Amino acid sequence: MKPLKILAAVIIPLGIIIAAVPENRTRPYKLTADELLTEVTEGRQFMSPDEIAQMLIVKDPTLQLIDVRSKDQFEKFSLPNALNVPLESLLSAEYEEILNQDIKLNIFYSNSSNEANQAWMITRQLGYKNNYVLQGGLNYWAETILKPEKPAEGSPNEEIARYNFRMGAGKALGGGSESVAVGAASGSSAPKPVLQKNKKKKGAAGGC
Amino acid sequence: MGPLVVNEIISAETNLLFAFIIGIAFGFVLESNGFSSSRRLAGMFYGYDTTVLKVFFTAAITGMLGLLFLSLFGWLDLGLIYINPTFLWSAIGGGVIMGAGFILGGYCPGTSFCAAAIGKLDALAFIGGIFIGIFIFAEGYPLWEGFYKAKDLGSPVLNDLIGTSRGVMTLMIIVVALVMFWVGEWSEKKFARDDYKINQH
Repeated sequence: MKPLKILAAVIIPLGIIIAAVPENRTRPYKLTADELLTEVTEGRQFMSPDEIAQMLIVKDPTLQLIDVRSKDQFEKFSLPNALNVPLESLLSAEYEEILNQDIKLNIFYSNSSNEANQAWMITRQLGYKNNYVLQGGLNYWAETILKPEKPAEGSPNEEIARYNFRMGAGKALGGGSESVAVGAASGSSAPKPVLQKNKKKKGAAGGC
Repeated sequence: MGPLVVNEIISAETNLLFAFIIGIAFGFVLESNGFSSSRRLAGMFYGYDTTVLKVFFTAAITGMLGLLFLSLFGWLDLGLIYINPTFLWSAIGGGVIMGAGFILGGYCPGTSFCAAAIGKLDALAFIGGIFIGIFIFAEGYPLWEGFYKAKDLGSPVLNDLIGTSRGVMTLMIIVVALVMFWVGEWSEKKFARDDYKINQH
């Protein structure tokens, strides 16, 4: 048999197979179930309202709040400078640049932690970095920052310091009516997460 | 799950090592196909030897089928494959310059190094020309920067332009390639030369 015929006998069937099967459009998950379970149980994705209030007050340029609630709810109330990425459109291409980046710390929030956690889990499995969740959501935010509960007399000093910080933060962020300058004293001293750089996803081009 | 280096299964250094090994294999295949013979390469333009067409079309089809089957089996994420961006005018301009150089010198850049490796002096002259060209391009860059970057089309792919799936596009290219191979064989008979035998060295 001539080489051309042999070649045709091989590549035409392969071509027909590849033309007939559907394209594989599944997006691969980057983390195994075990890895994700570890992260979830350790709660590494959570950032407390105090940490976020602190970043808001010092106008930390790396902070990017992302509201995953619906557009209506977002328009009624949102945190300062938040972007609205409704959970159902999380995977749409227009938001990919916001979610998969290495310049900002994205903080997802919703009314409770639920939707924000779902958003975080999906982006985490896609391998996106620098996404976090506001612990307790807006409800907890309101309880702690906007209407902090006064600690009982004789509470430990750090609790009173935390209360003072929250009162000041609440006022600075629109909870109270007076405008008060807030000191840097934050109740929690957890270090701010470090931005993780993405690996460049491009290879070199070739030629003949 | 590929691509290996993007998914950090291998390091960038290992990736370079693979590139080195594949590069040697590529050179070996070029040389064993007679691509270090400028007569064979130039034969493409005159029609008496169409090996270049056959080898590169076969390589393209092998690559296309390979990538699509790897993706089908879930071993490769095609979304992470680097697709060379298209700058329309510089692609056309570069194509014309490269074609002119090809027919004048009898080599394309890769094959000139192949031929130099087996000791061909005209290939060395060709490589000298490549470096002169690189020098002129780099030094005169401000002059042609506008042209070089004009008409950025992103990374268009054929199947999106005509609105089919990748698989159907591949089948169509296979059919086109087989027709071209047949035309090539016809052309080799039609434009055969007395002083040139296919697969001579």
